Amino acid sequence: MSSYIEVENLSFSRGYRKIFNGLSLSIPRGKVTAIMGPSGIGKTTLLKLIGGQLRPEGGRVLVDGQDFQTLGRDELFKARAKMGMLFQSGALFSDLTVYENVAFPLRAHTKLPEDMIRDIVIMKLNAVGLRGARDMKPSELSGGMTRRVALARSIVLDPALIMYDEPFAGQDPIAMGVLVQLIRLLNDTLGLTSVLVSHDIAESLSICDHAIVIADGRVIGAGSPEELRRSDSALVKQFVNGLPDGPVPFHFPARDYKDDLLGVDDSDLLGLGGGRG
Amino acid sequence: MVESIQKLGRTGIEFISALGRSGVFLLRAIMGLSFTRKGVGLLVKQFYQVGVLSLIIIIVSGMFIGMVLGLQGYSILVDYGSEQAVGQMVALTLVRELGPVVTALLFAGRAGSALTAEIGLMKATEQLSSLEMMGVDPMRHIIAPRFWAGFMSLPILAAIFSAVGIFGGMLVSVDWLGVYDGAFWSNMQSAVEFDADVVNGMIKAVVFGLVVTWIAVFQGYDLIPTSEGISNATTKTVVYSSLAILGLDFLLTAVMFGGL
Repeated sequence: MSSYIEVENLSFSRGYRKIFNGLSLSIPRGKVTAIMGPSGIGKTTLLKLIGGQLRPEGGRVLVDGQDFQTLGRDELFKARAKMGMLFQSGALFSDLTVYENVAFPLRAHTKLPEDMIRDIVIMKLNAVGLRGARDMKPSELSGGMTRRVALARSIVLDPALIMYDEPFAGQDPIAMGVLVQLIRLLNDTLGLTSVLVSHDIAESLSICDHAIVIADGRVIGAGSPEELRRSDSALVKQFVNGLPDGPVPFHFPARDYKDDLLGVDDSDLLGLGGGRG
Repeated sequence: MVESIQKLGRTGIEFISALGRSGVFLLRAIMGLSFTRKGVGLLVKQFYQVGVLSLIIIIVSGMFIGMVLGLQGYSILVDYGSEQAVGQMVALTLVRELGPVVTALLFAGRAGSALTAEIGLMKATEQLSSLEMMGVDPMRHIIAPRFWAGFMSLPILAAIFSAVGIFGGMLVSVDWLGVYDGAFWSNMQSAVEFDADVVNGMIKAVVFGLVVTWIAVFQGYDLIPTSEGISNATTKTVVYSSLAILGLDFLLTAVMFGGL
């Protein structure tokens, strides 16, 4: 199974907080890969690193054998035309209609005549079931419809790779079912490589061919959905079964509870404080 | 004590870092203008948004300021029997100072804040990120057209402000207070010099246009993408722009008219 994306020894920090420290993973070509993990472990950051929107501090990311960090600004923008990304919010342009939003990448990257653009846009909107909403503005759409329009926009240039950032977050069961079906269907019919980051375990495992679980800035489990369900790792078990406490603690790192309640500050603990009152 | 020094250091580093980022940002905005059909279309659209939609506030303010100048000028000059000089006073005040300065202040409040809020909201709703991921450079598609439209609109708006202001001054002093119109216009014509007054006033407007639009688009692009971040950035645009306009006005006036 050849890989489409290779992440090698990746390090990245936000301020003083280390997000990734030597992360390595590989995403197979032509499959749906789910990257899962608790909130705040850097799943969206990983997508931005894959898309070259962020620069890693160490290591490298190869997309179809190409290291985006070595590309110039113009080359990078050209390379990105081969990938689509579905943002959590949909990120539709609020001043354009649904039709204009989907037509936008075609107008930006091709010199196709208007009648051909119209045909392509209508086909893509039909694929997501929203051909009838073409004249609506993003403000008139529901959350599920917004994501489907964004999905149509992200596949309009027939990309080789599509990345989904939390596609199921905040969706009602019907919209979620539609999105699950669309992700699988589009991947199989268009021959894409799909990467979805999510913490909706059931939905993600139901459609993916390959799953990767990340915690503490590293991969803690990878394999088929079945392999993950059978994993012996306590971290993977906690995540897959949705247990509130375990290796990933319930509490965010903090100083001693008793000291906090008594109002003892750090300088007092170090013997530097001059006392109170 | 240590915390205060740390805070001071952090603020200093953040300030220098923002200065560096804004410098690179300005260069990219200047270089990002595209002369393709699409690029010109985006620029024209922004000219309408930034320039044409600011016309009402500029014309109304120019008219009232001109009228006030006419009224105040007349009431002072009439004591010396020099009310015929009100035309040159109104024109010089507007062309040299109030035209560029008040236009820039109004522009910062009306168009500058709108630019910051619009770009900031695009950032908060991931529209800028989605452009990047579509392979479209937001600097070329969003920032450069807005920057150039603002930069080029302000001198035109300042010229309109001064012209309308002179008309307002004429309405009050000639039509209402009875100053002889021949003296009003001929005094103005002989006192206002194209090179020294009109060109210098326009140079001020060009400088203010650059600074105000730079501040507005940079604050929008660099903000923290939250509702509080957008609110702070919009406030900063108006405050920083106003301070920059007034500070630069003093410097430019000192160089142009103060013999420095």
